[in-house]
Amino acid sequence: MSIALHLKRQPTVPLEAETISPDRLADLSNSEIRSLTVYHGKRQLPLGEFFDVEGERSDELHLHGELHKVRWIGRAMSRGSIVVHGSAGMHLGAYMRGGRIEVHGNAGDWLGAEMKNGFIHVHGNAGGQIGAAYRGSLSGMKNGMILVDGSAGLEVGMRMRRGMIILGGPARDFTGLQMKGGTIILLSGAEIRTGAWMNRGVIISLKPLRMMPTFARASDAIPTFVHLYARHLKQYGVTLPCSPAEGAYRVYSGDLSIPGKGEILVWQPADVDMPLHTQVVSCKGVRQ
Amino acid sequence: MGGKVTCTLGEVKQRADFIVYWGGNPAECHPRHFTKYTIMQKSKFLPRGRKDRTMVLVDIRETKSAKAADIFLQVKPGKDFELITILRAMIKDQHVTDEQIAVTGLSREVLDDLVGRMKGAKFGCMFFGMGLSMTRGKHMNSAALLTLAAEMNAFTKFVAMPMRGHGNVTGADVIMRWQTGFPFGITFNRGYPRYNPGEFSTVDVLVRGDCDAAFIIGADPGATMPQPAIEHLKRIPTIVLDPHVTHTSRLSRVHITTAPQGIAAPGTAYRMDEIPLPLKPPLKSPYPTDEQVVRRINEAIAAKPFWMPEGSQPQMLTAQV
Repeated sequence: MSIALHLKRQPTVPLEAETISPDRLADLSNSEIRSLTVYHGKRQLPLGEFFDVEGERSDELHLHGELHKVRWIGRAMSRGSIVVHGSAGMHLGAYMRGGRIEVHGNAGDWLGAEMKNGFIHVHGNAGGQIGAAYRGSLSGMKNGMILVDGSAGLEVGMRMRRGMIILGGPARDFTGLQMKGGTIILLSGAEIRTGAWMNRGVIISLKPLRMMPTFARASDAIPTFVHLYARHLKQYGVTLPCSPAEGAYRVYSGDLSIPGKGEILVWQPADVDMPLHTQVVSCKGVRQ
Repeated sequence: MGGKVTCTLGEVKQRADFIVYWGGNPAECHPRHFTKYTIMQKSKFLPRGRKDRTMVLVDIRETKSAKAADIFLQVKPGKDFELITILRAMIKDQHVTDEQIAVTGLSREVLDDLVGRMKGAKFGCMFFGMGLSMTRGKHMNSAALLTLAAEMNAFTKFVAMPMRGHGNVTGADVIMRWQTGFPFGITFNRGYPRYNPGEFSTVDVLVRGDCDAAFIIGADPGATMPQPAIEHLKRIPTIVLDPHVTHTSRLSRVHITTAPQGIAAPGTAYRMDEIPLPLKPPLKSPYPTDEQVVRRINEAIAAKPFWMPEGSQPQMLTAQV
């Protein structure tokens, strides 16, 4: 048994609906769910004004419709699942502590911001500040995983501390800004200033990046942990190349301005003209 | 993390022996800045005036201000953030290669000299203009310079200050800050202020079409904002308070002509260093002041029933984690 919410009326101004979360809905009857409060701008209205609700007492939510104006869905959820058939608005899964969110469409800014755990998969594009820290906050996502098949906006993983963000499409500027840990995997690269001011953490890019001038080139290698990541990511359909025959990762460390110990790994496909053993320097000693 | 490291222009006038203008053209945009506050004044601590001070100009092209500068650094367009980040690395004696410095269009000798002068100064002050804060990277460019100023305090006194323009913009920031705790990009929809630039800042709200009414006072977004924002202003009821008819007035439903501040209306203006200055109007105007209009609108709103349901409290979003 699950709960299905169909958007019946498009909100004219942003709808703040942090009540749409499995934790909140799990023990409520259908009529109780319909009478939950949502904020349409400054006005408090019952959820039933905007959504048709089917089902009750379940922590599996199915949301239908173009919800790009609906914000804070799944805020601080700790269990269950939310599946959005359509698009979702800002702050989807912010402060999330567990459970799953799946979006068959696009998501907005601040996706999974400051999440502690859980899994988010966006099949379309996402906005900026994915898994980031809110303004004035010291750290962004602390664990969990965000997988975006499409592109992303500015400041992805800003000040993130742990966890993993995987972007299938390109990201814009300031990916991994002030990162403090965790991993960002860019399957289609990013625009400028990737890893600016990063302190720790790893950014892996399979496409060439325009590096910040404050990163020092360390070596070409396939660090051991990439093999582990590659194996772990297979279940999500993400392929990380990690065989020396295919090429190697160019390791950069920085940002020198902090000075930080972050690493950016940029995949370099094997150059056919050069013998392989001259490219792959070492598999050990890169991460100590 | 940065933070605001600032001082008043009086302190700059009395003490600053090292002045940087970054991405601004004060000779043409703030013509009295040099003579009144920064480089020309003599003081107890800098008795020889201009001779005791060093001025550096960083810009993408040689403007008229370059003539006044001792050192002019021509940075490649869009490389300000990179240059500031390199400077942050260099003041900490981190090794940056010559090729990496060359990306910014400057050489190692120039930057070594600059870092030496910065560390050797008694009181450094950096002023940044729209060339820094309104180019690619936006707030992060300003944050970079503010952070550099903060970090320079490990060696010597250093401050950074934006070069504000357009009337009383500093005043708007200051008032919002002491009233709500945040300078801009605030929503009150839950009954208490929440801050998130990008989500609640005017241009983003208008571009996304998130508001269903607009009240514009002392600004002309119709002339400066991107087209989608202007289109949205046309769609929704827009009210403009302005002394004269602006681009925004032409696309608004209501335009209320008000007395011009400082000329026919009294009030307080904030200088760019956040010093409040009283305005004494020399003329009289047949039009009401902005304040009178807003007060009357406020009274009319107060006569309406309160927008929250009887006896209910707004649910704080932050209290629920």
